[in-house]
Amino acid sequence: MPYRTTAAPRLALVGVLVMAAIIGVLIGLTITATSALPGIVEPDAVVRYGIPVVRVLLDMAAVVTVGLSLLPLLIGFDRPKLAEAVLAGTRRVAVISALTWAVTALVALVLQTAELRLSQSVTLDAIWDYVRTVGAGKALVAVFLFAMLCAVLAVWTVRKGESVPAELRAAAALFTLLPLPVTGHATDWSWHDITMVSMELHVLAAVAWTGGLGAVVVLLAANRTLLAHALPRFSKLATVCIAVSAVTGLFNGFAELLLTPGSSVWRDLFGTGYGLLVLFKIVCIVLLGLLGANIRWRLLPGIMRHQRTALAGWATAELTIMGLAFGFAVVLTRAPVA
Amino acid sequence: MRRFAAAAVLAGLAFVGLATPALAHNSLVDSNPKDKASVETGPQTVKLTFDQPVQNVEGINTISVLDPQGNHWEAAPPQVDSTVVSAPVRPLGPSGVYQISWRVLSADGHPVQGQLSFTLSKAGNGTPLPADELAKFKNGAGTAQPGATEDSGGIPTWVWIVGAVVVLGAGIVFALRMGGKEEDA
Repeated sequence: MPYRTTAAPRLALVGVLVMAAIIGVLIGLTITATSALPGIVEPDAVVRYGIPVVRVLLDMAAVVTVGLSLLPLLIGFDRPKLAEAVLAGTRRVAVISALTWAVTALVALVLQTAELRLSQSVTLDAIWDYVRTVGAGKALVAVFLFAMLCAVLAVWTVRKGESVPAELRAAAALFTLLPLPVTGHATDWSWHDITMVSMELHVLAAVAWTGGLGAVVVLLAANRTLLAHALPRFSKLATVCIAVSAVTGLFNGFAELLLTPGSSVWRDLFGTGYGLLVLFKIVCIVLLGLLGANIRWRLLPGIMRHQRTALAGWATAELTIMGLAFGFAVVLTRAPVA
Repeated sequence: MRRFAAAAVLAGLAFVGLATPALAHNSLVDSNPKDKASVETGPQTVKLTFDQPVQNVEGINTISVLDPQGNHWEAAPPQVDSTVVSAPVRPLGPSGVYQISWRVLSADGHPVQGQLSFTLSKAGNGTPLPADELAKFKNGAGTAQPGATEDSGGIPTWVWIVGAVVVLGAGIVFALRMGGKEEDA
């Protein structure tokens, strides 16, 4: 199986992305740490650290699932034999990542119930109560169901190959992203619907961008023919994604800072954990823009001529920063502004 | 690019079908007594006003009133009336700075918490809430162990996590072992 040997060395990149994401979570938690209030019991440490870590693992499972579902669309359908050699090895991984997505959603549900109940143990009744009363509970159940649908589609693809429409898999994976963002911060003013749509677009763009880059670099970097095909297409997708995630991210961050009663944008931007995380994410997207531009204008012409380039190194740096940004994002959606 | 567009349209159509509920993080906008106020007689109730309705789930919303020695002075678990959360307070005792700590379930499902203080300038003759009364609130107020007030029969969180890892492991084994297209040939 020659595709295994060419793909294997790059799998370390997935580890880099996940580690960076967990480090991002830990940095975020340190910045937003609050001291315990007298007279109020703190949730268990397993719960306090477990929720953001599980949520970022959920995001990473989402990135891998979406990335693998976009890969057939990026490679295109005009070189079926070459493409099949690469895609065949990815299908079982897609089953595993979709299952991970579903299971992390359930674990997040258990931990968030424990956070609310301030308890170290959770009954099924308490979980049911959480799903009934709290929006985040319903969203996690929806994510679990849609992720299981993605897993079923992935199993079907392992059996039937590319005769299962790639568009269907991509749409199912992208749709599974939608329930969770609406349960994070969103303000309650007249522009509420716009902040909600903007948050959804932000998540779709960030996951498609990271997943697409990861899939292309991990699986195609050693295959110059397919890379010359897929990277220009990914480059177009990435340009749209960076624009969308920058605009929607700035809009949502500043909307949250502006609309929290008793807040002042500049003081909170530099003086609160929430504001610092917004600044960190702005730094991340500026760096990602520069790295992306480097790949687009300095490396891409060579790649299109089937030359060897330093793509893997630059992409590793890009994925590391993307991982950090995901980690910050998880803490940001849970941090109070004031 | 055409197939991308198809995927995007499919996801977009599904998105339209998804009703988005109004959700947000609550912020405290007003309180009685006000933060850092000085009063001669203790308030009969502590009243906290938020910018959005607080979710009324039993045993979650908490208001505690503590004197400098750490005694509790709230008389009952808080009541929720839309954006206002209020708890009755016992007649206060020694003069000094009292801390009000609160934790409520935000409209977006995240618990949020905060703290206020007020100064009692003239000592009253009240007595603090006995510990066995406090235990009946079942809302995490007080210094009791987190597990102490809950009913038995729950499954510890680490067991849930281990269970999830086992299920995922079984799924991975299944994914790697099942017959695939390449083996069919």
